[in-house]
Amino acid sequence: MRVPLYLQPRLEAPLTSLLANRPFLHSLVDALGSPLNVLVPERIAENAERFLAVYRKHHLSGRVYFAHKANRSSALVRRLAAADPVGVGVDVASLGELRHALGCGVTPDRIMATGPKDAEFLWLAARVGATVNLDSRGELEQLAELVRKHALPRVDVLLRFAEFESAAGSQGVSGVRVLSRRSRFGTPADEVSELLSAVERHGDAVVLTGVAYHLDTTGLPEKARALERCVMLLDECRARGLAPRAVDIGGGFGVGYVADADQWEHWTTALSEAVLGTGPALTWRGHGYGLRNEGGTVRGSAALYPAHRPTAGPGYLDELLSLPAPSLARPSATLLLEHLYDLYAEPGRALVDQCGLSLARVLDVRRTGHDSGDYLVRLGMNAGDVSLEEHGVVVDPVLLPRTGVAEESGEDPVGVYLVGNLCLEADLITRRKVFLPRLPRTGDVLAFANTAGYAMDFHAHHAQRQPVARTVAVVRDGASWGWCLDEDYWPITRPGGALS
Amino acid sequence: MRYDSITEAIGNTPLVRIDPAVHGLRHIDLYAKLEMLNPFGSVKDRPAWNMARPLLEGAAEQGDTVVELSSGNTAKALALLAGMHGLRFKSVTNRMRVPEIKELLLLLGAEIEELPGQSECLDPTDTDDPLTRFHQVLSEPGSTYLHTDQYFNPRNTDAHAAGTGPEIIKDLDGRAPDWFIACVGTAGSSTGVARVLREHDPETRVLGLVAHKSDFIPGIRTIDEVHQVGLFDPATYDTIESVTSDEAIDGMLTLIRRCGLLTGPTGGAAYHGAVRHLRPLDGELAEAAQRRTAVFIVCDRTESYLSYVRRRRPELLGRSRPKHSAAALTDAEIRAGATVIGIEDARRWIGDAEPRPLVVDLRGPHAYAALHIEGSVNIVDELFDELVRGGLPFSKAQPVLLACPVGEKSARYAAVLSRMGHPDVRSLAGGIVAWRDAGAPLVRE
Ligand SMILES: Cc1ncc(COP(=O)(O)O)c(C=O)c1O
Repeated sequence: MRVPLYLQPRLEAPLTSLLANRPFLHSLVDALGSPLNVLVPERIAENAERFLAVYRKHHLSGRVYFAHKANRSSALVRRLAAADPVGVGVDVASLGELRHALGCGVTPDRIMATGPKDAEFLWLAARVGATVNLDSRGELEQLAELVRKHALPRVDVLLRFAEFESAAGSQGVSGVRVLSRRSRFGTPADEVSELLSAVERHGDAVVLTGVAYHLDTTGLPEKARALERCVMLLDECRARGLAPRAVDIGGGFGVGYVADADQWEHWTTALSEAVLGTGPALTWRGHGYGLRNEGGTVRGSAALYPAHRPTAGPGYLDELLSLPAPSLARPSATLLLEHLYDLYAEPGRALVDQCGLSLARVLDVRRTGHDSGDYLVRLGMNAGDVSLEEHGVVVDPVLLPRTGVAEESGEDPVGVYLVGNLCLEADLITRRKVFLPRLPRTGDVLAFANTAGYAMDFHAHHAQRQPVARTVAVVRDGASWGWCLDEDYWPITRPGGALS
Repeated sequence: MRYDSITEAIGNTPLVRIDPAVHGLRHIDLYAKLEMLNPFGSVKDRPAWNMARPLLEGAAEQGDTVVELSSGNTAKALALLAGMHGLRFKSVTNRMRVPEIKELLLLLGAEIEELPGQSECLDPTDTDDPLTRFHQVLSEPGSTYLHTDQYFNPRNTDAHAAGTGPEIIKDLDGRAPDWFIACVGTAGSSTGVARVLREHDPETRVLGLVAHKSDFIPGIRTIDEVHQVGLFDPATYDTIESVTSDEAIDGMLTLIRRCGLLTGPTGGAAYHGAVRHLRPLDGELAEAAQRRTAVFIVCDRTESYLSYVRRRRPELLGRSRPKHSAAALTDAEIRAGATVIGIEDARRWIGDAEPRPLVVDLRGPHAYAALHIEGSVNIVDELFDELVRGGLPFSKAQPVLLACPVGEKSARYAAVLSRMGHPDVRSLAGGIVAWRDAGAPLVRE
């Protein structure tokens, strides 16, 4: 085994310069406690711009909708509210998110309501004039009824489809069936005809503006096929006299968490060897991340996010748009452009890439037992505060020493397990041995980078009355950084109130 | 040679010596075992036939479907065998990354199912991966599948222990080679041959070659992936080394261009890995009076991998630059050479000019059918590109209006046609998108 088996995080500006400012981050934790979430709102606007640059490269018009579910922050949504209103919007998946987006200044024409919807959510969306991304025929009926009953204006709707593999027309031609994981969301694509009839019947209440899909997969061929099917579905709408013009390709563009491909490859190989017993243990009590040893053969599949990804986010979108559609054989972007359709995308994780840190203070460092050399590092946070493991994301935190420089000490790299502040055996922040450049000391801070997508506070809770992380927004102030509470961030003023 | 069935032609493949002037080894004779000369084209003909043979008759009575997890060669052999016995064949795979092989399988009548990609929104407690589910379906009572199970079926290994291995010994006049080199996919060929060679001579060294971890060589696995193979036992190999796709293609080129062996990338990988491994050992043999021998396996043929080569080494398949290439024009040349016309002027021109300009829509036929300018003709850009390479596709007396989605491609072609001497070709500014946005009429058919 190559020691240390680092999985160093991919870091870009401005996280790099923020992490270089150790006194600032320590002072934040001193003032606001551990755990602490730090957000860089500026970067989300840059990310949206990167997505839109891909649109422009392919001459496509349309909008990037931030999938709000990835992070509850106000600073992020407010920063997007201040971004290009034509190109940037917000995808809300609950009544609370819709209210939040409106309160952050996102106008309804820039809001798309997705996900499971109750009557209140549907009513408010319809009342303000947001676009409703309809999941099923039942939802359409429910919306139409609300519109009539409450004399609301006609609502722009998208129809979300699923199960493209079984739909007629997508196979037979080639004899290749691209299987898809089943999803609970969307209407099976082969029910399009009934759904369109329903849309026509409810023409007094809804206006069809586009069709949508969201596939939970990293596989480009599945998405290219769904996109092509959506273009064909739109043509079917046109032939019926409807005039929708957008294809919403959902989210799932991915993030690369680990910078170095070699580190990722060495670590995953070492995991297989550990599971087979031919290499040293790498995980708490031999946890295999879904892999198991059956008579000397590795079985199962690793439940790990592909942490090193050569293309993710906007690069992944570019690849998808460049991929030839399975039956029409033109690149997906060409297909959209030639058919005169707009592109909508709903990135969540990818849009908050490099937008945040989760900080935790080191409370205690000790050895596990007499004969084992393993170290336990107890942090001022629990597994709910930074749910990287929960999402299968394995990546090292960055050590921010309280004093001195990490490298000067002449100490050696060390593998440790990170445990949380709950009185539960299960409260491990990593089930994997994490390698750090030296043994942390009480008072040091560990920074988990790139946690703004789902990992930051998705599972945070008040169990055992442990504090839940506060969230601050940080902004560049010349060579230094300024900060304010997340709820106090407005993109038009500097922390402290002066107009920026 | 006269056979009653093509299956009788499986096996007894030649062992061909590689010219020392090519590999440069001075004390080692290097031989290629040409498995590509099996009737279905690969080393997989043997295990496919050996695994399927005892089951085919029963399966034919029940009307079963033969199914295998295969990226190519096993599927190819099984598809042909299934067809010969009136059975259907289905290949389930997540590795079908070479388009020619996919198309060949379709031609053979195979059904292909591609497994879904990994979940983007991972739930680590979900152990229900697609392969597990696939195996569940196969083992359900009353299932009508004949699963050959190449990664776990000992009859895969046995085919090579009974055929490939003994043939090598026979062709080396009753001796086992000092080194045996094979790429590892299912591990069937390397394990079966190694077993027989070692029984004959325990001193035989076995080198297993895998693909470099982040790389892809069709048909072989990476070091992590071999751990998922039931037939794989690390004790089979004295050494395991990895080869990159670049090295595999280098090896393939040497075998093709200098040895007349029309091998695929894994043959190239085996050759490259063999020479790389043997070169230092050859140096140590300076004093040895006796010559040594090494044998590597050439799994399959070149033809199915042209797109694999095109992606990685486009220059190997390069075309010379055509005389009139739209792609070669710079932006400045396009700006200088193309006459661009706005929507209103275009509408007037189409309406009033004598002779009426020919409107050419460069979009795909599906998009054209959905909506287009009335009276326009559809020549897809790819086709148009071919036409223009050959010369002017219109009479100089015929004015032409080119239209594409946003006016970019059409400007490029307008510049090319002008250079070729067409006096009146114009490009629609902003394309069909601008036409639509201006509220100009579009028709569908
Ligand atoms: C082209 C090619 N090369 C090499 C191999 C490896 O052979 P084996 O699986 O018998 O180790 C295979 C089989 O998967 C193959 O298809």
